[in-house]
Amino acid sequence: MAGSDPPEGMRELYPFLYSGESEIEAVLAEVGRSTAEKAKEIVALRREVAERSGALLAECGEAMAKRFAMGGRLFTFGNGGSSTDAQEVAEAFSYPPHGRPLPALCLTNDVAVLTALSNDVSFEVVFARQLAALGGTGDIALGLSTSGGSPNVVRAIEEAGRRGMLTIALAGYQGGELAELPTLDYLFAIPSSSVHRIQEAQATVYHVLWELTQDALGELSAQEATA
Amino acid sequence: MTVTPPAERVGQAFARRETAGRMLAEDSERVALACRDMAIRFHRGGKLIAFGNGAAGTDAAHIAVEFMHPVIVGKRALPAIAVSNDAAAITGVARQDGLCEVFAHQVRHWGAPGDIVLGISTDGRCVDVLRGLQTGHELGLLTVALTGGDGGMLPTSPAVDHVLTAQSDDPAVVKEVHVTMYHILWELVHVFLEQPGLLGPEVIR
Repeated sequence: MAGSDPPEGMRELYPFLYSGESEIEAVLAEVGRSTAEKAKEIVALRREVAERSGALLAECGEAMAKRFAMGGRLFTFGNGGSSTDAQEVAEAFSYPPHGRPLPALCLTNDVAVLTALSNDVSFEVVFARQLAALGGTGDIALGLSTSGGSPNVVRAIEEAGRRGMLTIALAGYQGGELAELPTLDYLFAIPSSSVHRIQEAQATVYHVLWELTQDALGELSAQEATA
Repeated sequence: MTVTPPAERVGQAFARRETAGRMLAEDSERVALACRDMAIRFHRGGKLIAFGNGAAGTDAAHIAVEFMHPVIVGKRALPAIAVSNDAAAITGVARQDGLCEVFAHQVRHWGAPGDIVLGISTDGRCVDVLRGLQTGHELGLLTVALTGGDGGMLPTSPAVDHVLTAQSDDPAVVKEVHVTMYHILWELVHVFLEQPGLLGPEVIR
């Protein structure tokens, strides 16, 4: 075992590293236990989200289905890891494994527009300006921000609200600044202090939201058929 | 026809995730071994090359940003690229050599023998992902695959050093387990890197 000074906090997080244990097997076993703990954590967190936000998710899925049924489109956005989630949301809706393909676009895909706006105006306006140009009443805006405080996500939700779009946000903790927005229709805040666990639970939230939207769309067309 | 009330449907949808989420714990040893080998590569200056199709491509991008710009303050940035992000290269190679060759091409031209390739395929039936891993293996790179279900072609491929499988046939659930897997990969790679003594005698020389 290396005797160098541990970085601050390391000893508390991984006490096994400083136990003087020299056998790699013991270390691997302990690192493995840390994996098992995280698996348990995320299972418990998902359960909590289902209990807290289940009814709201069902309502949101129905609201999204109504917009899609009227020809609405989905715009998704986020920064960093959340931008990759935004891409996946758009992909899940537009090219689903089953069910109805729906019009969805991730705003971070267009590097030319993103860099042009950031360079000429500011990074804060990127998604808001894109929504102003592409979105309209009847559309849906879905933003992701683990902190709930990304300025460009906040501004985009405000812009979408002004335009009469359905607004949805996925955040962590208590929802940060997003929780203060009067224009936000649906907020799903994941109650965890770990950015990683928040993102993992958010993936479940948007997958379930996709499923509920498909279900609600099916019911809408069944109602139309019998009307 | 009986219609399940929406609230109940939400509960069922979340419940469908539980088993796969819990079963990740059983893979903890495999995860630890993959992290140790990845840490050895990073320790020697190697970089990570990630790729996948569709939704898995967004995970490749997430992994790259996770290593390049850690969310936890004070963690070292490690070199990583998601080659599936490059729409021009993908469509260019696909037009000329076919979609199956895109990742193999990028690994051949970006990879160095000390690097790591990480391919993601929720069912293990993506030929381009397998070809990317095989090319990496031929060039001496460490090869890691994230998959789900029965893993398709990946678990039996001699080109793949570490296969981590999410225990579900639902691509959405597999993806969710993958997110936890790569967050853990990132975290444990740093645990090993911060204590190079753990990387074994072959590193301390």
